[in-house]
Amino acid sequence: MLLLQAVFLPIILAPLIYFIGLRIGKNVGWLVFLILFYCTSLLLYSGFSSPEHLESYNWEPIGEFGLFLDGLSFPFAALIYILSTVIAMYSIPYMAHRIKEDLHSKKAISDTINRKISLYYALYLVYAAGMLGTVLATNLIQFYIFFELMLIPSFFLIAEFGYGERQKISLMYFLWTHVGAIFLLGGILTIGFFGGSFNFFDLNESGLPSSLRVWVGIAISVGLLTKLAAAGLHVWLPYAHAESPTPISALLSPAMIGIGAYAFLRIFLFILPSIYPTIVFAISLWGLLTMIYGGLMAYAQDDLKRLLAYSSVSQMGYIIFGMGSLYYLGVTGSVFHYVSHGTGKALLFMAAGSIIMQTGGVRSIKKLGGLGSKLPITGIAAMIGFLAIVGVPPTSGFQSEWMIFAGSFAGALETGSTGKLILTAIALAGTPITAGYALLTIRKVFFGELPSEFKNIKDPSFHITIPLLFLSALTLIIGIYPSVITDNLVPLLQNVFGGIG
Amino acid sequence: MSTEINYLIPWLVFAIPILGALLMPIVARIGEKIRDYYAIFITLISAILCASMLPIALAGETFHHQVMWISALDITAGVLADPLSILMSNIVGWLSFSIMVYSMGYMKGENNMTRYWFLMVFFIGSMQLIIFSDNFLQLFFGWEGVGLCSYGLISFWNKDHKKDYVGTVGKKAWGIPLAYSPTHAGSKAFLMTRVGDASFLIGILTLFYFSGTFDFMELSKSHTWAVELAKSGLLIPVALFIFGGAIGKSAQFPLQEWLPDAMAGPTSVSALIHAATMVKAGVFLIARIGPIFVTAVENISLIMPFFEFVAWIGAITAFLAASQAMVSNELKKVLAYSTVSQIGFMMLAFGVAGLTSNFIVGYVAGFFHLTSHAIFKASLFMGAGAIIHQTHTKYLNEMGGLRKQMRLTFIAMTIGAASLAGIPLLSGFWSKDAILASILGVESSFTLIALYGLASITAIMTAFYSFRMIGMIFFGKKSRHLSKLEKSSGKHIHEAPVLMYAPYVILAILTLALGFTGPIYEGFLANSLGHHLEYAVGMEIHEHVFSINLIAVSTSILAVLVGCGSGYLFYINGKLNPIETVKNIPGLLTLQKFFVNRWYINSLYYIVFINGSLKLSQLIHKHVEVGILDKLNTVVPKFSIILSTLGGKFDKYIVDGTATRIANFNILISRNVRKIQTGITEQYVFFFALGIILLTLLLFG
Repeated sequence: MLLLQAVFLPIILAPLIYFIGLRIGKNVGWLVFLILFYCTSLLLYSGFSSPEHLESYNWEPIGEFGLFLDGLSFPFAALIYILSTVIAMYSIPYMAHRIKEDLHSKKAISDTINRKISLYYALYLVYAAGMLGTVLATNLIQFYIFFELMLIPSFFLIAEFGYGERQKISLMYFLWTHVGAIFLLGGILTIGFFGGSFNFFDLNESGLPSSLRVWVGIAISVGLLTKLAAAGLHVWLPYAHAESPTPISALLSPAMIGIGAYAFLRIFLFILPSIYPTIVFAISLWGLLTMIYGGLMAYAQDDLKRLLAYSSVSQMGYIIFGMGSLYYLGVTGSVFHYVSHGTGKALLFMAAGSIIMQTGGVRSIKKLGGLGSKLPITGIAAMIGFLAIVGVPPTSGFQSEWMIFAGSFAGALETGSTGKLILTAIALAGTPITAGYALLTIRKVFFGELPSEFKNIKDPSFHITIPLLFLSALTLIIGIYPSVITDNLVPLLQNVFGGIG
Repeated sequence: MSTEINYLIPWLVFAIPILGALLMPIVARIGEKIRDYYAIFITLISAILCASMLPIALAGETFHHQVMWISALDITAGVLADPLSILMSNIVGWLSFSIMVYSMGYMKGENNMTRYWFLMVFFIGSMQLIIFSDNFLQLFFGWEGVGLCSYGLISFWNKDHKKDYVGTVGKKAWGIPLAYSPTHAGSKAFLMTRVGDASFLIGILTLFYFSGTFDFMELSKSHTWAVELAKSGLLIPVALFIFGGAIGKSAQFPLQEWLPDAMAGPTSVSALIHAATMVKAGVFLIARIGPIFVTAVENISLIMPFFEFVAWIGAITAFLAASQAMVSNELKKVLAYSTVSQIGFMMLAFGVAGLTSNFIVGYVAGFFHLTSHAIFKASLFMGAGAIIHQTHTKYLNEMGGLRKQMRLTFIAMTIGAASLAGIPLLSGFWSKDAILASILGVESSFTLIALYGLASITAIMTAFYSFRMIGMIFFGKKSRHLSKLEKSSGKHIHEAPVLMYAPYVILAILTLALGFTGPIYEGFLANSLGHHLEYAVGMEIHEHVFSINLIAVSTSILAVLVGCGSGYLFYINGKLNPIETVKNIPGLLTLQKFFVNRWYINSLYYIVFINGSLKLSQLIHKHVEVGILDKLNTVVPKFSIILSTLGGKFDKYIVDGTATRIANFNILISRNVRKIQTGITEQYVFFFALGIILLTLLLFG
């Protein structure tokens, strides 16, 4: 029942949180924090106690309702809940600030504030549980339900608490993800229809007519690459992630979109292993394009959050690139990079949030400067966050990036593909692009002359600095001791690739 | 004859500074004085531990200790204490200690000293990590650690005040400014070395596929990887890609442009990181992997192109940087160019090692020069710091006539500069001579003549700029700037405080000592490094006996005579006026401008890579991102409404109620697009909650 609790406790308690929140206001965030903390502990306990953990419940008429934690789903699941937990704490002052700012009045009626913050936290819990359910699902229908379950609350969160033209943007976000979802659904239903089951363990691609395989592969890839915001399918992301309330950006950008990678690997490695080798080159190429395109676009941004959003596009390119490596080490790197980018980008968005809060809503990089001396903890966290996405040791970003590229080289040499070898070399040679915008941003925001209007600002309260320090420590710990991720993941993937090769 | 040490010692050499640095903010709370002493104390302990391992180096033995690191991939972490690493660690450890002491004086009264000490100590730990790593992956941790600290320390004065700029503000070459703020210079350093690191990673990751290991010892034990690599034609590319990392870190051509601007940091930082230690990491890397490649191939000719490339890069860099050192007007920049140039000499030596019949000759010459350069250059930099501190200027033409007022500094710096120039019986003379002699062993006559020629010309230029520097600081008339300074403050310029001059005077004495014992030290190196290469790496080593090579000696003496002589006439004795001379001889002015503008390489990089990619990014953003892709945002909603309606029908036809409900929900949302904009979110949330309850009931009902 451990995993069942972890997934459903937040959902069941969400209405309760809403009503408690109406009474006690923003401190309901602590309750949410505790709930998620408890669920995260359950999850981590399950993950570390045995390499595989399966809970299965009867679910008429679809089959089995299972929750499955293995080397592949564990890194995703753990990151989703760890981030959700710390961001619940981070949200307490941030959302209070955001709601007040939005109501345009200093002495806003506390009822309105309480109602809004309760709504936020209720949706937040469902959103977190939805993400977790997606990566633990054992059958395709279940997967799709949870996929929706995370989309809908996030849609409301953007529509209600976002910045700018939030209604329009939330709708855009909702529709785009659904375009992806429908491709995915089409693919999934086709597999299920011919495979005779929706259950991952029973599904067999052999039932699928070979004429359909390519189409199923393409449909699922396009669906998931939309989620992953691959170049060309990414236009919704900068809007959604930049205009979300910042704690939600910190969850959307690294944790949620990366779920596309999980689904891709689960489906292609375990269910469609014969299609996988035929699409890897295209995937790698697309990944490389995304990497470079997203990175270049980041240079053209002046809005701090928009820059981070484009950086997410670019980082998804790394993950996609690893998925196309056709080698266990590259895929390990992809999964690992989900975690690295997750902690790194969450740190960056949270640091951006801290800046936005403390400067009274300034997001334009041009207007910022010299903040390092005023916001030292925010500065250090942002630096570590950037190092993680640039891939500098001792952050975990280095571990994931070397694995992605080593895996890609190995895949290329194994199959004797010169094209792939060159792609990988180009991809590695393109890594300074990330370093470039990272350094540029650090310089413009934290160094140089401090604008006079920021003379009196300081680091925000512990609600924000503790999560920042915690995630900074986490990325360093995983970077120095990567075995926490690789121990269960590598043997699993070696096994799978033994079957494919 | 086995020399036992505790297996923890090499680990502690880097663990103490790294962990100690992390405690710095806490120690700083106790008190500022305690923090300062704490920082120096950690450095001292680390250095003492290095010294305690010297017996292993003397015996030419190897100590190796490993632990499991990433078990799933069978990757270990470990320390490798052999003569190479132990000697290197002592150079780094003790120079660091002396520069840390100097920092106490030099950085007195600065703010943010906790950050300074943190970065310095963390740097020392990372550098020792590079040195003692027994595999590429762990080495890379140290490699990036030093890069980060270097970035942080170059950008130390991160307010970017105009006075902290490096270069002359306002001067441009091809429209590209030649002056940079500290944070710009720091970012530049990080980014350029990052380019080298990308290359480094390409190399080691490909190597990892063929060998399955990052471990140096394993690589030198098993040779199948080299055979496989050679068969697929990747042996030389892989070696060169790895060398790319060294090019970046050691500021070799074509990635040399970051180092001169790194002088924006405090001088103590320049002395430690950008002269004595970090920039030698690239050289150290070649010293580490060169022998592995040589022993791994069946026939040395397979790997020769790699060594030839290394030698050429070294020689070209040495020449290129020396030419710029001759014309620079900034004291620290002269020293920076000189560092780049001298590292070029070291690379040249390590490259030549693989081109001669006896590997050890070039190898020892390279390491000898590394030692002597580290000592005298650290001394020169610290002296320069003291002068800049006292004269409030970084420009050579604003100094002059200081030899009486700063007597000790004058003597110490003259010893350093003379050693740099290669004046006989000083350490630089012996080591440079060893390099020249080693080139003479090159088998191909074209390469021999070309490399020897380049090295000799560079030696002349080196002698010239060394004397130019000394002349412009200490001789001639006192500049107008100095007279004004003395008048306005009412005080005469005087010697630096003891905390500052003690370290560089001691290093100057060491330079003398190494000069007197040059041949002995060379013999010692040949013995212990040779013993190690022969028994631990498995290389075939012919005994290398120290001997004076007449051709090399006469070349270097001739170079000194020409270089120092002209430097003396122009800048010390004042018989010739340098400005007039440049004006009078046709072509010289153009040449000078060419050198001052850094051969336009810097400008070219900015135009192509920095401005080019920024422009590209703007263009793509305007025409593709906004111009084309954003349009999708209007198409997709329309398209998706059609699709979701179709999808709903598709679902109804195939699956049961659950999926239908979801699809219906989609339709509900898409049909009610307008209503949402009225902002009554709670209503929708209510429907949503209802849906969830329904689902839960379905699930457990």
